[in-house]
Amino acid sequence: MRLTNCLNDFKKIGELTKKYANLPDSYIKRSMERVVWKTPQNNPRYLPRVVKKKKYHFSTHRPWSIGFSADNNVNSVKPKVFVEPIKEWSFFKGDRVEILVGPDKGKQGIVGNVIQERNWVIVDGLNCEIEEVSHYKGHLSMIQMQEKPLLVTSEVSLVDPSDLQGCTVEWRYTEAGEKVRVSTRTGKIIPIPSLAQETYDYKTPKTYKESEKDTREEDLTEITFAPSLKTFEMDIMENMGIKEDRVAAPTYWY
Amino acid sequence: MAFRILSKCRMFQNIINTKIPKNLRSDGIHISTVHRDLMEFFDDKKNWAAESIKVGRSWNKDELRIKSNEDLHKLWFVLLKERNMLLTMEHECLAQFELFPNPERIDKVEESMNNLEAVVRERNKAYYDLEVGESAERPGELVTNMLGLNFFYRKFEHLIPKFLNKKWRKKHTFNVVNGNIEKFQKYYREKLHNANRKSKNRDTNHVMHLMKRFPNMDISAVQQQYPSVNIEKIKNYHKTRGHYVP
Repeated sequence: MRLTNCLNDFKKIGELTKKYANLPDSYIKRSMERVVWKTPQNNPRYLPRVVKKKKYHFSTHRPWSIGFSADNNVNSVKPKVFVEPIKEWSFFKGDRVEILVGPDKGKQGIVGNVIQERNWVIVDGLNCEIEEVSHYKGHLSMIQMQEKPLLVTSEVSLVDPSDLQGCTVEWRYTEAGEKVRVSTRTGKIIPIPSLAQETYDYKTPKTYKESEKDTREEDLTEITFAPSLKTFEMDIMENMGIKEDRVAAPTYWY
Repeated sequence: MAFRILSKCRMFQNIINTKIPKNLRSDGIHISTVHRDLMEFFDDKKNWAAESIKVGRSWNKDELRIKSNEDLHKLWFVLLKERNMLLTMEHECLAQFELFPNPERIDKVEESMNNLEAVVRERNKAYYDLEVGESAERPGELVTNMLGLNFFYRKFEHLIPKFLNKKWRKKHTFNVVNGNIEKFQKYYREKLHNANRKSKNRDTNHVMHLMKRFPNMDISAVQQQYPSVNIEKIKNYHKTRGHYVP
């Protein structure tokens, strides 16, 4: 049996998290993984072997951030977290939600952060707890209010825009074939807010500012391909004026 | 900040000051319009002390499919040079105890290069399928080794045929009926079976704990995520009952 030392916990990262990151998968993998042990490098006496941490703990920190790596020290073992499976995710950044539990029960707020790995949303300015930020000996410690995450399955509900009250939602198709969220109580469509498009790099794809290193849009969308009966190598050789008349000696593939 | 820039300048001082005599450069070969000699391995000077360098995403396959072979050829070398530059900068920053800004750029370039290679393979495959009738890829086949394990052998190009190549034949013995591996095969199958059984048990246990913690869970979603678990069977188990009045 081939033992593959692959990063299984990478699958646990939610689609929305990856979308927000706007980073290649390989980078997220590379930045979240922790190496427990590896053989000395450039030493002919050792085969290249790497042992990586297998189980990762997801919290409010993004997998590529320093907070995540601080959470997942090589030696620390965090308690197992049970996450309820959900068929279709229906909470996005910028959604108006009603809180169903805690001191802010019944209040409505805007979702500021979605953590899909734990079925969490963080509502801006609501469900706060006082946290001690810094504590030094002989000094007054600093405290601040910190929003605490809420479970999407039981602790928040989306707000129906027609009557501004909490509702359950369902994903349905419109006649145009578009997939939309629909309030089951009133049957009204709950549109996905534009804030949901936000990534680490831009608010919306249209407002993205091209940097100096980027390819310009005209160059990107220009169609230069013309089909011809040639392989890639034949075409390049023809363009560069390379002529190959020599007949190759027979070779054997085995 | 000023200190940082100064230290950076010192970092590349040696490279800037070295002058390559003109006769060492070959005028016949023009790879690109910019000639910065070895400095092409480094980023622009203004990016040296930058906190972050923002760039867009990588090229995807659909965008590369509309480009001509010539463009792809050129783009390949642009990407290759960029990758060389990034790896050099990363190495240099590590050596100078500086932070390498936006390391995901390396992954973006590599992803673009992989996509470009895939598109070129696609085009060659189309030509070979139409004109030659053979696969354009490196040939290979599924073989059985001496331990009775199957694996995909990727073939090599040789100058002499197989029956003359004694060295290769000595090294590669495939598809041989071997009577001495029964015991090994038995244990190997047992190992696979145990791994499978354990993963199933692990899933079942996990689902039982989920049912205990979330009594109002959507069972169809659980079944979708853990297809090997028999939920009807475990519904009445003691472990699935939570600490509450039903």
